[in-house]
Amino acid sequence: MKAITANRLIDGEVVFWTSGQWVDRFGDAQLFDDHHAADVEAAVATGKGQPTVVVDVYPIDLVQSDGRWAPLSYRERIRALGPTNEPTHGKQAEGGDVIEALRHAAGSARSTGRVDLIRRK
Amino acid sequence: MYQYDLIDKEFLADRSAEFRGQVARRLSGELTEDQFKPLRLMNGLYLQLHAYMLRVAIPYGSLNATQARRLAQIARDYDKGYGHFTTRQNIQFNWIKLKDAPEILDKLADVDLHAIQTSGNCIRNTTSDPYAGATAEEVDDPRVWCEVIRQWSTLHPEFSFLPRKFKIAITASAKDRTAAKVHDIGLLLRQGRDGQLGFEVIVGGGQGRTPYVGPTIKEFLPTDRLLSYLEAILRVYNRHGRRDNIYKARIKILVAALGAEEFARQVEEEWSKIDAVRADLPPAELARIRAAFAKTPFEALPARSEAFETAKAHDPAFARFVRNNVRAHKQPGYAIVEISLKAQEQTPGDASADQLDVVADLAERYGFNDLRVTHAQNLVLPHIKLDDLPTVFAALQAANLATPNIDLVSDIIACPGLDYCALANARAIPIAQDIARQFADLDRAEQVGELKIKISGCINACGHHHVAHIGILGVDKKGEEFYQLSLGGSGAEDASIGKILGPALPADKVATAVDQLVGAYLAVRSDGERFLDTYRRVGLEPFKEAVYAQAD
Amino acid sequence: MPKLIELVENEARWAEDAFVFVADEDAIPETGDVILTLARFEAEGDALLASNSRRVGVRIEPDQEVEGLAYDLPRLAVVALAFPKYRDGRAYTSARLLRERFGYQGQVRAVGDVLREQAGFMVRCGFDAFEPADGATPEAWSQAAQRFRHVYQRAADARAVAFEERAS
Repeated sequence: MKAITANRLIDGEVVFWTSGQWVDRFGDAQLFDDHHAADVEAAVATGKGQPTVVVDVYPIDLVQSDGRWAPLSYRERIRALGPTNEPTHGKQAEGGDVIEALRHAAGSARSTGRVDLIRRK
Repeated sequence: MYQYDLIDKEFLADRSAEFRGQVARRLSGELTEDQFKPLRLMNGLYLQLHAYMLRVAIPYGSLNATQARRLAQIARDYDKGYGHFTTRQNIQFNWIKLKDAPEILDKLADVDLHAIQTSGNCIRNTTSDPYAGATAEEVDDPRVWCEVIRQWSTLHPEFSFLPRKFKIAITASAKDRTAAKVHDIGLLLRQGRDGQLGFEVIVGGGQGRTPYVGPTIKEFLPTDRLLSYLEAILRVYNRHGRRDNIYKARIKILVAALGAEEFARQVEEEWSKIDAVRADLPPAELARIRAAFAKTPFEALPARSEAFETAKAHDPAFARFVRNNVRAHKQPGYAIVEISLKAQEQTPGDASADQLDVVADLAERYGFNDLRVTHAQNLVLPHIKLDDLPTVFAALQAANLATPNIDLVSDIIACPGLDYCALANARAIPIAQDIARQFADLDRAEQVGELKIKISGCINACGHHHVAHIGILGVDKKGEEFYQLSLGGSGAEDASIGKILGPALPADKVATAVDQLVGAYLAVRSDGERFLDTYRRVGLEPFKEAVYAQAD
Repeated sequence: MPKLIELVENEARWAEDAFVFVADEDAIPETGDVILTLARFEAEGDALLASNSRRVGVRIEPDQEVEGLAYDLPRLAVVALAFPKYRDGRAYTSARLLRERFGYQGQVRAVGDVLREQAGFMVRCGFDAFEPADGATPEAWSQAAQRFRHVYQRAADARAVAFEERAS
């Protein structure tokens, strides 16, 4: 699944594509099935043709987490929420189910990390 | 402090008007984003993850109360009530709207502040010693030379489209608080044997992908020849620095490729062809600038203050603050006071608008209207009477600005990281907060002593991780945040680049790993050794063992 | 063909461009003023100049050093300095050297990715002709070039710099 995002030119706000409109909330973003790649391309092209409205138009990968869709990468989750060090700043300030779900989204390749490498004899 | 005259003020007004026009042309569609981006960057305006970010220069790291209050006002009116002090004596506002930017620049210009050349491939704000004019160590006032360079480099017609950004640092003390050796040019003011002042010129230091401690290319440059020599360096770089690869475009790559000796030879050759009479600053202008930084009118006071001694004896919190945040002043009866922006749970380098107002008031009332910012993301009141220190301390305490941790383990440098920055791979702020929490016990932090931890959220190294005693670099592994630790770096006079400890760690293991490193240090340190000294004596192995060995 | 803006006594105005730029692969026209590439000039410049029938200019790319032209400068009507990208600032150095070090009196022309945002820098470095790529008119060019009432450092122009204004 994919969504399309950009930053609004006039204020830099993160926005998402929904049927020809740019909306502020990730929860309102249009979701594109992976087999509808042509629709994504067309929407991105339309967005790129609006240089006085948005900048940096690109599609993002989504992943399913607890029955909801969330951006796959940390970067996109932070864009959809706001900075993690200031929970009252940015989109997350509004709260609600979608915000909570995004905050707790899992699903990107979680690794245990590479500690315990040296084995003491 | 240097006061802008009509010329400086009209210049800022013209700049602001120019940018207003450029923003209007962008919003109307006359300029494309590709055309506009370098223009907004030349005015310090970035597009970050959540909004535009405006980076405002703090020339010579010095603010007066009016300027600090104006920054507070901008934080309130156009941002979310705070600003972020960077590692290069700038302040950044994270929530700026493009449409407001021209108005903000006007309001900055009203108080002689600007965002000129805080980004772009040009000569950036010159880093200066935050203790300038206050420390007994210095041989001259470095701010004088920073102002000389500010004027010379501002909209320089030849050097505004360099291969890459260009950063200069100036220090006049043996103890380097500017990270001069990891700047594109580091200028160390020295007194020659005959008493004449000169610069040791270091070129080609830097961090980022390929960190270098810069080599000295000239041992002693007479100060009156500074501008012609800078012109020669910049000209060699402008012509021969690489432009084909953004990661190899800094001057450090050119210096390393040519070798310091050959680079120096080319600079000398170019320098010999420059008309010094035209290129160097006339003595009268230098005298004018020097007079603007004329001696602060200190009172003649006894070295010992009873009020200060009494407070120290009776208030352990004050005594601790004095031990860690107060430094010797050149003038008897005065002290240099560091204000930590690293309180528990705080974002390193952030100051709220209210806090800025508090320090502005203190600077005005008790500190000769002078406030400094440090590359370690803290503030300094450079001239506080010992008699006033208990009062100043109480005011700082009330504003959560009295954290007694300067240069201790919780005084962590961190870039904005993935919480804000469009370039970042990983977050830096939460890692700093984790570590600070781990070392919340101030007795323990003091017992550990000087330990400089610096965190960058990507390889660009804005968080100076290469020159940290413990450096932490955020990396992205398949969409997950990991952190690579390095040890043994220093950005000070004993500059060195840290060595990677081992494989990157996941976010939740970093604070523990730092604790393990500290444990290893405490186990083997000799008397008076800092973490860095111990590391340099014993090497990487004991530390590696402490973090990566299996616990069983 | 791009229109040419010329700076005459600090006044920007439209100018008829008498010169034809001859790329390496093109034949040199029978008559008329020409601007040659450096390679072409080195090969054929002497002969063209010897004919005395037309004016000759040279186009210098950013990686070519103007020092190589020092001997020929008095015979050149134009030195065109190329900006392959607006961010490539090498031509500013070339222009200053031409004017300040070699005392070149002919036209120094900015060609390539030439935008009005650079006008002030270019004029200060000694450029006096421009082929704008952004559709800038002479009015827009003048306005951009004279945007700042003050300048802080000496360059190839005759403007009084801030410290000279202060001293006067």
